[in-house]
Amino acid sequence: MIARGKLADPRVQEAIDSSTERLRSHRIDAWNELDDVEGRRARAYEIRMRAVRDIDGNLNRFRSALEARGGHVSVCASAEEANAYVVDVCKRHGAKLLAKSKSMATEEIGLNDALEAAGITSVETDLGEYILQLEGEHPVHIVAPAIEKTKEDVARLFTDVEGVDVPPVLEELTASARRQLRQVFLDADVGVTGANFVVAETGTVVTVTNEGNGRLCASLPRVHIVVTGIERLVERMEDLPHLLSLLGRSATGQRLTSYTHLVTGPRREGEQDGPEELHVIFLENGRRNLIDTKYEEMLACIRCGSCLNVCPVYRKTAGAAYGPVYSGPMGAVLAPLLVGLEQAPSLPHASSLCGACTQACPVKIPLHELLLELRSDLVEERTAPFLERLGFSLWSVAWSTPIGYRISTRLARLGQRWGSRLGPGRVWAGGRDLPALARKRFRDVR
Amino acid sequence: MRVQLFATCLGDLIFPDAVRDAEALLRDADVDVDFVERQVCCGQPAFNAGHRKAAKRVARTFDKAFSRDHPIVLASGSCATMASHYLPKLLDIEPYEVWELSSFLEHLGVEVASTNTGRTLAYHDSCHMLRDLDISDAPRRLLEKSGATLAPLERSDLCCGFGGTFSVRQPEVSVAMADDKLAAAADSGAEALVTADPGCLMHLTGRANRVGGVPIVHLATALRHGVGPTSG
Ligand code: SF4
Repeated sequence: MIARGKLADPRVQEAIDSSTERLRSHRIDAWNELDDVEGRRARAYEIRMRAVRDIDGNLNRFRSALEARGGHVSVCASAEEANAYVVDVCKRHGAKLLAKSKSMATEEIGLNDALEAAGITSVETDLGEYILQLEGEHPVHIVAPAIEKTKEDVARLFTDVEGVDVPPVLEELTASARRQLRQVFLDADVGVTGANFVVAETGTVVTVTNEGNGRLCASLPRVHIVVTGIERLVERMEDLPHLLSLLGRSATGQRLTSYTHLVTGPRREGEQDGPEELHVIFLENGRRNLIDTKYEEMLACIRCGSCLNVCPVYRKTAGAAYGPVYSGPMGAVLAPLLVGLEQAPSLPHASSLCGACTQACPVKIPLHELLLELRSDLVEERTAPFLERLGFSLWSVAWSTPIGYRISTRLARLGQRWGSRLGPGRVWAGGRDLPALARKRFRDVR
Repeated sequence: MRVQLFATCLGDLIFPDAVRDAEALLRDADVDVDFVERQVCCGQPAFNAGHRKAAKRVARTFDKAFSRDHPIVLASGSCATMASHYLPKLLDIEPYEVWELSSFLEHLGVEVASTNTGRTLAYHDSCHMLRDLDISDAPRRLLEKSGATLAPLERSDLCCGFGGTFSVRQPEVSVAMADDKLAAAADSGAEALVTADPGCLMHLTGRANRVGGVPIVHLATALRHGVGPTSG
């Protein structure tokens, strides 16, 4: 989980640059249609924080509501627990094939690997995720998982899979994907989806997709399993439309995502379709660490990806420079909180603190300020390197008085010719000239 | 009208000319400028790196040096953000009245000398000035008042890649961001790129010295002397 100071290769960088730019400008256009943008963001924040501050109450309400409809609810503390639950359900039904729609929560727990180990085939049915699965890769963007792939990349891949020539034309590519995936939906014994929101009051799971694959995963197979974070809950159905409208606009610039699927329980008597069994797994996996802390607001995230699309660091490094699952500013904040700061000490520093993320976030999460807090925690917990701590201490003692400031800057002037040979000066000078200290300070000549 | 000028550490040590130009602009506008000798730095370098104890130690010099009787004016958007937003919270003190130079000059409604007549300039929005202080029009209007035509700079809001310690923690990324900014400036057709932040100035100049590009000039200098072959 290291944010490598490496750039993505130029081809990937170009693809990321143009895709994030497109998503960014679509978002801006979609928001420009709205009045009272700040009021809407504030309302979204209020809805999300109200839910986050009462996660257990909402969990209980959701459980009663869904169980009354014949669904099953389980709260899993860890990835292992959640994976074991899914595998167990699959085994009970003798499932061999599982159809999955895009879900960051299942990425987080490595569900596909766990299923494979249990001899169950899991097929990703979101186009981007499917491409990545064929390539053996993982998503680099929480909304557009295969954002760095070009049409040509995909055409080559599908040509290989189908054994017939698939041209790099969007319609042809989606037609090819449809041919490849249709049978999976029909044959799958179990469907797994994530959830964008979960409504506590009614026991409703809400999933949005643009390809309709989520709806097929949730309705064709006999068993539907939802894997989602405990923080996805919202309190009331009336909270939902506001969030859906902001999610679509923020993620892709759509007023509403193409498919919005609300599931409240398994198939009922007399109904023609829907699964016989519905399981909703709520994943904790570190999320409880955030409750009632200064990081609580991070749980309000609706995974819209806006912060990735505006982040200049993300644009240069692509998702792979962050943790394995969540990337961009939201990942730089969330990943260390979920896995522990000592496991991801460089992520809070994978930002120039430009604040573009905070400005873009539809639910007003102060991302760059949370990064500042994490950096401070790194120092407090002494995870930051000793030399760095020593350096800042010495510097601060020197600069705590005007006289210390004068002496230290004189010394720096004497030593500056060696500045580019050691420490941070050397790193700086790798790509830039070191600034020269002026012969006389402003205060000495004014 | 009396103000206290805060040179900032980068201004004091690396860009004294820009601070002198800022002071001159204020005096031209009939403002009495005090320079408090006790001032050092706002502590931002340590604060942004997470070293709060170190940041507090240095930030206290700010609190000791400045009074609340007169506004504090400085020619740096990011230090203005630190001094107005973060420093009071860090030290748990009452906020100061802090003004970034261009917004202060605009606030006074000053006339600017025609130092850039016939010139085409581009303006880079520094991050904290744009997003925390919400100042983006003032520097542009002042440049226009000085006679300059502003060339649109593609994604003028994108960070230049400095980011304090970020510049040495992620040097490749930081430099690549600077390259994008320099390329945008070159594409804009402007004769120079103007910024109101010594941090951006230091970073972009350091990179431009290696790979070339249009001159990068501090806003105060651009307004006071104009951007010409002799400046930058
Ligand atoms: S942090 Fe905000 S902008 Fe980023 S993904 Fe979450 S909701 Fe969207």
